[in-house]
Amino acid sequence: MKGYFGEFGGQYVPETLLPALEELEVAFAEACLNKRFQEEFNACMRDYVGRPTPLTHARRLSGHTGLDIWLKREDLNHTGAHKINNAIGQILLARRMGKRRIIAETGAGQHGVATATACALFGLECIVYMGSEDIKRQYINVERMRLLGADVIPVTTGSSTLKDATSEAIRDWVANVDNTYYLLGSAVGPHPYPTMVRHFQSIIGAEARQQILEAKNRLPDAIIACVGGGSNAIGIFSAFLEDPVELIGVEAYGRGNNKNAASIAFGLPGVLHGARSYLLQDKDGQILSTHSIAPGLDYPGVGPEHSWLAYTGRVSYKLVDDTDALAAFSLLTRLEGIMPALESSHAIAYLDKYGQAHKGRTVIVNLSGRGDKDLHTVLGSDL
Amino acid sequence: MISETIKNTPRAIIPYITAGLPSLDKTGEIIKILSRSGAAAIEIGLPFSDPMADGPVIQKASKMAIDAGFSLDGFFCHLNGWCTSTHTPIIVMSYINPVMRRGIYETMDRLKACGVSGLIVPDLPTDPMDIFDISSTIGLDLIRLVAPTTKTDRIRQILDQCMGFVYAVSVKGVTGAREDIPDGLKQQVKSIKSMTDLPVCVGFGVSKKEHVDDILTFADGVIVGSYLIENIIGSPNPTGAVRKAFSRLIE
Repeated sequence: MKGYFGEFGGQYVPETLLPALEELEVAFAEACLNKRFQEEFNACMRDYVGRPTPLTHARRLSGHTGLDIWLKREDLNHTGAHKINNAIGQILLARRMGKRRIIAETGAGQHGVATATACALFGLECIVYMGSEDIKRQYINVERMRLLGADVIPVTTGSSTLKDATSEAIRDWVANVDNTYYLLGSAVGPHPYPTMVRHFQSIIGAEARQQILEAKNRLPDAIIACVGGGSNAIGIFSAFLEDPVELIGVEAYGRGNNKNAASIAFGLPGVLHGARSYLLQDKDGQILSTHSIAPGLDYPGVGPEHSWLAYTGRVSYKLVDDTDALAAFSLLTRLEGIMPALESSHAIAYLDKYGQAHKGRTVIVNLSGRGDKDLHTVLGSDL
Repeated sequence: MISETIKNTPRAIIPYITAGLPSLDKTGEIIKILSRSGAAAIEIGLPFSDPMADGPVIQKASKMAIDAGFSLDGFFCHLNGWCTSTHTPIIVMSYINPVMRRGIYETMDRLKACGVSGLIVPDLPTDPMDIFDISSTIGLDLIRLVAPTTKTDRIRQILDQCMGFVYAVSVKGVTGAREDIPDGLKQQVKSIKSMTDLPVCVGFGVSKKEHVDDILTFADGVIVGSYLIENIIGSPNPTGAVRKAFSRLIE
């Protein structure tokens, strides 16, 4: 069925939004076929975002873990994370559609900053919904968004984090659907968002595939990426789905059982924010509150395509907790001089366990963002 | 049954209340009061943690009910008693996740067995054939929403599967009181009515007696939610408050 990955995905939205989703679907399909749109996107990626990002051989970390580790450096993108790829892609689409008011949700603030940046670049109005809890722990990104001209609206409902910011952005969209473009930041939400976000993030995988072939003349044994909603992971996985390459997503195990954000490990299929996917919920179908030290992973759902890839077994999903993520932050900083985002630190942290069982293998880790935004959290921890 | 009742009620007002606000026992009392005060039908909303079609008032009501310990088991314990305490048709509103979590068939079957007449789901999938088939089999009306943005082809498709009445959403936006009735509403209702024999009831944003009077000149019924909820939340005597607030509309 349209917009489904197996039994996951779909469009579970208030009736008011259906025409807007159809309009978006048509515009996206047309843009995909339009050569000039592709050229414009590629030019922005090259001249503004700074792509291609390097694939860095992590020599000391390789020695430390007994693996052959390569880092896909999304942290070197303009604004410091992979989020800008999707933000630029969707802003170009919004312009094509004639929408001048852009709304977005943000958790860690990286997608909010990317959206505010893209709006500044093209002179569009930008409103970012952000949970008041996230505003507290990511205040530097809030200031960045405001400096970029965005209106950051604190969301105090529910758990005051990413899921509530997303609900509030959808409510805004329902009310202002005629002139507003909803720039969703992860591979979640109703069709066509999961497909569209993957499309714009697939540049990560396409580059990484070519780069590793150039460097090693062979494909890697494994790809590791962190998964919240799952946009960076689906971006890099997309180029390797048909290859004999092990794909590993790392979910946030937070403080352990009942205090995590690992929707694939502990969730059941359900509907949140317009799509069916694995979801952390109680026996009544109420969405559970989540915890992760990485705000970008602190979400009770996951993209429908990841749900499907987990269901089919093509991708295996593993757990890393707050403590190990913090240790990985420190390890990569000291061994490689690269400070990873706490989200990406989850992927780095899994290398240790992977290396114990698979010595000598070649692994690409998607380093989805840089860690400057997390200094406040890291310095406040017991590290 | 709902469609007959609405058609036969000259001033058909359907109050919306949140189940478990402030408690399930009080919800039972509120249902009796609304029934005695002349409600055409009563819509009971199941509180959901993430109500994306609702504005601040119903969001708050949902959170208060959940924090007060609302559970589906508790709800179903009371539901049969509520339905048998009144001749007024009871309609249940739920987001789809709680329905799917418990099982679509199981939930609808249980609602029907308790005496509920209809179900409203604000976030049905685009093509809800399974749910539609189940509701036909069980004989529980699946009441569908039509928005101001809904195109004619889609309206026809919705009407083909709609039972009980058509819920015409008055505004582009979430639930909650508004100052005015939108200009295009009369035309929207007229156009839906030209395509169906089902009664058409208007909801979202209705908060004043003038709104009700105005809407009932062209629609078959009107749904009032946030205005009543606000009165329930704001009062130390919720049953008294809801009686007073509802009688202001029905007179």
